[in-house]
Amino acid sequence: MTLRSRVITIGGIAVAVTLLAGCSATATAAQSTSASGCVEPLVLYAAEGYDANMGTAFTAKTGIPVQVVDDSTGPLLTKIAAEKNNPQWSMLWADGDTAFASLDQQGQLLDYAPNAQWDTVGKALLPSDNSYAPTGTTVMAALIYNSAATSTVPTSYNDLLGAAYAGKVGMNDPAQSGPTYPFIAGLMNQLGGQTGGVAAGEDYLTKLKANGLQVFPTNGDTLHALETGQIDYGLIQSSAATGETIKVQPTAGYAPKIVYLPKSTLLPSVIGIDKGADATQQAEAKQFVDYALSPEGQQVMQGADTSGDSLFWPVVNGVTALSQLPAFPADYQRIDPVFWGPQQSDVVTWFDTNIK
Amino acid sequence: MALSPPKSRADATVRVDLPRSALTGVAPTHHRRRLGARDGLSRVAARMRFQPLTVFWLIIVAILILPIALFLSVAFSPRLLDQGSEWFTLSAFSTALTGQLLSGLLNSLIIGISTALLSAAIGFSLAWVVLRTDAPGRRIWTGVVFALLLTPSYLIALGWERLLEPNGVLSILGYDASWARHIFYGPIGIIVVLTVKGIPFAYLAISSAMRGLGHEFEDAVRVHGGGPLSSIVVVISLLGPAVWSALAIVFAESVSDFGVAATLANDAHFSVATYTLYNAVEAFPVNFPVASAVSWTLMILVVLALLVQGRALRGRSFRVLGGRSRPVLRHQLSIRGKIITSMCLGLLLIFALGVPAFGAVSASLIDGFGSLAGTHQWNLANYTRVIGSPQLSGPLIYSAQLAGITATVTVVLAAVCARLLATKGATISGRILDFVLIAAVALPGIVFAAGYIFAYNLPQTNSLGIHLYGTTTLLLLAYLATALPSTSRVLLGSMSQIQDSMGQASRVHGRGAIRSWLSIVLPVIARPLLAAWLLTYTATLLELPVSQLLAPPGSQPISVGITNALGKYDFGGGTAMEVLAILSALLVVGLGYLLFRLCAPRGWQHIGRAQ
Repeated sequence: MTLRSRVITIGGIAVAVTLLAGCSATATAAQSTSASGCVEPLVLYAAEGYDANMGTAFTAKTGIPVQVVDDSTGPLLTKIAAEKNNPQWSMLWADGDTAFASLDQQGQLLDYAPNAQWDTVGKALLPSDNSYAPTGTTVMAALIYNSAATSTVPTSYNDLLGAAYAGKVGMNDPAQSGPTYPFIAGLMNQLGGQTGGVAAGEDYLTKLKANGLQVFPTNGDTLHALETGQIDYGLIQSSAATGETIKVQPTAGYAPKIVYLPKSTLLPSVIGIDKGADATQQAEAKQFVDYALSPEGQQVMQGADTSGDSLFWPVVNGVTALSQLPAFPADYQRIDPVFWGPQQSDVVTWFDTNIK
Repeated sequence: MALSPPKSRADATVRVDLPRSALTGVAPTHHRRRLGARDGLSRVAARMRFQPLTVFWLIIVAILILPIALFLSVAFSPRLLDQGSEWFTLSAFSTALTGQLLSGLLNSLIIGISTALLSAAIGFSLAWVVLRTDAPGRRIWTGVVFALLLTPSYLIALGWERLLEPNGVLSILGYDASWARHIFYGPIGIIVVLTVKGIPFAYLAISSAMRGLGHEFEDAVRVHGGGPLSSIVVVISLLGPAVWSALAIVFAESVSDFGVAATLANDAHFSVATYTLYNAVEAFPVNFPVASAVSWTLMILVVLALLVQGRALRGRSFRVLGGRSRPVLRHQLSIRGKIITSMCLGLLLIFALGVPAFGAVSASLIDGFGSLAGTHQWNLANYTRVIGSPQLSGPLIYSAQLAGITATVTVVLAAVCARLLATKGATISGRILDFVLIAAVALPGIVFAAGYIFAYNLPQTNSLGIHLYGTTTLLLLAYLATALPSTSRVLLGSMSQIQDSMGQASRVHGRGAIRSWLSIVLPVIARPLLAAWLLTYTATLLELPVSQLLAPPGSQPISVGITNALGKYDFGGGTAMEVLAILSALLVVGLGYLLFRLCAPRGWQHIGRAQ
């Protein structure tokens, strides 16, 4: 055997050893699962600040193990799309219902009517076929402004087109910020409706751009621009805006405050069950959804990430929002995810080309 | 190199005992006839020789070719992997091939070429100064290079943004940085950041090869009347494989970039080829066929790069490391030369490491630095918070273990790859290997990882009882595939230098193949192997896209934890975790070189050492 062959053999052996080690670990894991009887671990793909706490609390209550894949919404949806011919997830829990509506249209979600006492907002968010369930809601957008730098406060989106706001307003880039497309779709829905389409919304954003709108990648970047005085007004997700007011001690130069311009677009946190999961997992997942909507589960959600994702408004009766949150915006709208979801790619491309 | 005919009976005996196939590849027929019964054994041995190569190619197919091929096939056949209804269509190409993609391709090409040339030039200059001169401060650069390798591009971009932004630090200091902002927030900024990320790789690839280049070539130039510049030109041409390795990998890394371009050129309307791809993958429903179609166009750029490389290296030999290699003499710089060199190194240090370090400090050590909010006080609150947090320790240990295993296996496989690539005269298999290795880098990590899901989450394989997806094993294999191209290229320069005559001489004198390799080849490549191991370890520890898509449920690599913290506006905590992870990796780098110094035989350490 030549030297080259020997080197290649050694390389092959090394990889084989790694594979065997990994396979044996996998086999061990599989054995432990089957040994536990009819209980199967739930695989929760989630992008919520409270997901890991909820997994632990649910396991403590029911004995059902929950394996959490905690990541941003984008990579989770990419995983689900790539797994389409052999799904490996039991539940998906993320902000925004457009992706869920799309998954439903592709036949990937199990219809389930949770055992929950919905309030008015909850009922508005619930899909007619119960293919997913809201577990709370934020709104998009909250207008956060630096009250130490300005006393002019808008009361409508049209106000932002005035000279007083020239060059002082910032928002996120929908290509990089998940919550921002629902905001833009909400503007288009408010201004043009489903019959009028996107034209009126595009016209508004074009005027806003002409008035000096600045676009930053994500909520955090827009907040940073506000903190550094690059802008005086930022249009961001309500939980991020409230989190900023909690974290920041007001100073003479920076005192963030929030207003909600009519209409606020609902951006719910949504949970859905994989239709392809086996019957045991589906039954367990239904228990999880019920738990998330119970007062006990809602309390866990509210205590896990108190300056971030826990700052949601409940959508079930008998649960109150965290005290730091202001009253729920009176003038709100729910956009139809079935109508606006499929338009995301076109709208984002238009925004990147014409507004950014 | 042909062997001399035996001059004595003793020499003839040696020839008979030798496995001749190792020397010539073909046993002479008269010899086989005489050996009779050994004839069959020889043929069996010849067949056996083929098997390890088959095993190697099976591994390459499994970890590289299959995932890439399946992902690329989706552009033509979405139905194949349940990504659409058609078995064959070209509609993804008609959607993808817009004017925006074509201009993006051109921009990516320009950025790829610029960053590759700049990184290679700076990497070469740095290697020359560190290895061939007595410039002050040269000893710190190995550590600096690994620190650069570990520095995430977001910290580099963050540092520049904090400096240049309106009301940023330079503005607070009374300096109007608007002109610099206009220049930097666009293609120039992208090139600067990607070049900084490319320098470590270029340095490691070129310096490893430069250590194997004796001083005799420079002497020859000087004897023939050449000046220092001519010497450098000769050295560059003799280090061809290493220089082209650096160019190829940095080029491929740059054309696959999306994050740096999206962040720095956010409002510059400077689109790159990957924009269309990410737009297809990030929107929902995810459009993998369009992403795949864009990937085909990236493959065109890879083919172009390989054609240029092949033209440059064709028909030349770079086997400069033999038994007669002379020790290198370190150039004694004049006082003026030392001052200029130190200033250049200092500037590079500030640009490459100072700016991201500033970004890290501003984000994690000073409360509200540069902003109207916060106390602007130094404090360690973010560090004390994350050090005790289970979000740091568990994921860091998990990632460190995976990085260690990946580095060890990768170095072995990369040595094989480098040897195959260094084989004189490009074979078809060598060309395929070269293409696959570069293609794996040119494809953005997220689609490479999606290819892994396509390949290893097939219902058919599950029904056979093979469940690789969702296991640490598959994550390890993907890490291996991600690291293999760069690591192979780092070793290629050194492997290309080894003259076969040294090993043949050892064999002629009666040593077996393994002992010959251990005593002849291993000492020569020991230091490059160490550099390759550390490169793989550090690059794998903070790898993100593959980790995001392939980490098993319930196990979180550190990079995903950091990204989640940053995504939830915890810049302080996320950056503190990042800094601590970088420091842990630098500790491993220091430990690696310390162990090499303490444990490696003295002879191994002398290779490439300047006098």
